[in-house]
Amino acid sequence: MKIKKQLIKREIAGDTILVPVGKTVYDSNGLFVLNELAAFIWDILPEVSDEVQIVERILADYEVTREVASADTAQFLRKLREMGIID
Amino acid sequence: MNKKSRTEPYISTYLHSKGRKLGLPIAGNFELTARCNFNCPMCYVHMTEEQVRAAGKELTAEQWISIAREARDRGMIFVLLTGGEPLVRRDFFEIYRGMKEMGLLISINSNGSMIRGEILEKFLADPPFRFNISLYGGCNETYENMCGQPAYTRVKENIRALRKAGVEVSLNLSITPYNYQDLAQIYADAVELDVNVRASSYMYPSIRVNGEQYGCGNRLSPEDAAKYGVAWDQLRFTGEEFAVRAQNMKNLIGDEEPECPVESEEGVRCRAGSSAFWMTWDGQMRPCGMMPGPTAYPLEVGFEAAWETIKAETAKIRLPNQCTSCAKRDVCPVCAAVCVTETGAFDQVPTYVCRQTEQTICATWEAYQNRRGADSKQAEQTICTTWKAYQDGRGVEQRMEEESSEHAAEKEGN
Repeated sequence: MKIKKQLIKREIAGDTILVPVGKTVYDSNGLFVLNELAAFIWDILPEVSDEVQIVERILADYEVTREVASADTAQFLRKLREMGIID
Repeated sequence: MNKKSRTEPYISTYLHSKGRKLGLPIAGNFELTARCNFNCPMCYVHMTEEQVRAAGKELTAEQWISIAREARDRGMIFVLLTGGEPLVRRDFFEIYRGMKEMGLLISINSNGSMIRGEILEKFLADPPFRFNISLYGGCNETYENMCGQPAYTRVKENIRALRKAGVEVSLNLSITPYNYQDLAQIYADAVELDVNVRASSYMYPSIRVNGEQYGCGNRLSPEDAAKYGVAWDQLRFTGEEFAVRAQNMKNLIGDEEPECPVESEEGVRCRAGSSAFWMTWDGQMRPCGMMPGPTAYPLEVGFEAAWETIKAETAKIRLPNQCTSCAKRDVCPVCAAVCVTETGAFDQVPTYVCRQTEQTICATWEAYQNRRGADSKQAEQTICTTWKAYQDGRGVEQRMEEESSEHAAEKEGN
């Protein structure tokens, strides 16, 4: 999945933060903070083509049910779409 | 002008709080140069080209980027590029882009006069998180008197261009003997440009450029600093907001969001030297740009060692007992930098600030009472006018009734 915006991921004091770069500064009001699962999804986004693949990768790495993984993935991707970060 | 919006994102408060606990440099202030195309008499850092050459050497772009990289690796995320006027550096964009590529959120302090043409285009293509632009007056004459250049029209045009493109701009206003008469126009400009203003009528003594002339500066008397500070508050607050402020001041309750966020109850109260640092134009690390020390040298000992020194030395600073136990403490701008620049020592009472604070409390309350008096008079006037209109109306109605009766009698007579 293609990330359309310029964002740099940083680890600061135990938090994962996305910093807007270039014209993305216009669309954001500062920084985005990611929880652990959101950071995991963010890292694999360029390697996957759809939501199903993300859920499979989560199930391979985390002890979580498919329902929870699917719900969390859908919620995070919806947020990214709302902010125009992915299509 | 959105007066109520927070000027600092909550995430910044959160990260500074964590940084303070963990000893991380969350924010770095980089004073890229002491040079400036303006020549303001109250400036704490401005030097001419000749003075800069005599006093030391500006860091190169590579050196700035190298220090920023080390700081970034220790946790820095917020960067302020300042000066002097940082845009007078020909390699400014090399430094700016180098730092942005590291994932740093960059704000820029500027007088705004150079942000046009090619420089503006570069910023529009790659904007900072925010510009903090100093507005020095409300007309070209004031700018000429204060800054040496009639740049008001130009600066305002430049801010308008940034705002039109959607770039975040905040205004800094220093209220001085040179511009206090322009406050109403400056406020009108801020409203027109839809930007927040951070105003201060307290000017630090310029000990960094004037040697050890503690407590001296081209500034208003403490009483006038209070008077015009309150005048600004009256412009920016609605009647209701000003009433709350007056009540708070009377009860010695401070601002919700003070100029420097209060992080500690003893010693240095702000973030300086605990989650933030300042780099002077010639490569010295300090807790705060206003302080003449403590100082460390990251180019010689590395960023990590310099930051540890600054933290350790800052932790030793204590304010005067009279200040820490003062009942007016929460409404007073006293801090370590104020004490040392006013008196030459961190633990001496800065009487200029005592006088300004006392006068601010009195002048705020007085202005509030005057406003209430004016409001009461206006209310009385409104009641009188309404009653008179009612009476006039009744008179008209009576006359209409009489005319109507006469008309009816005439008809009957016919």
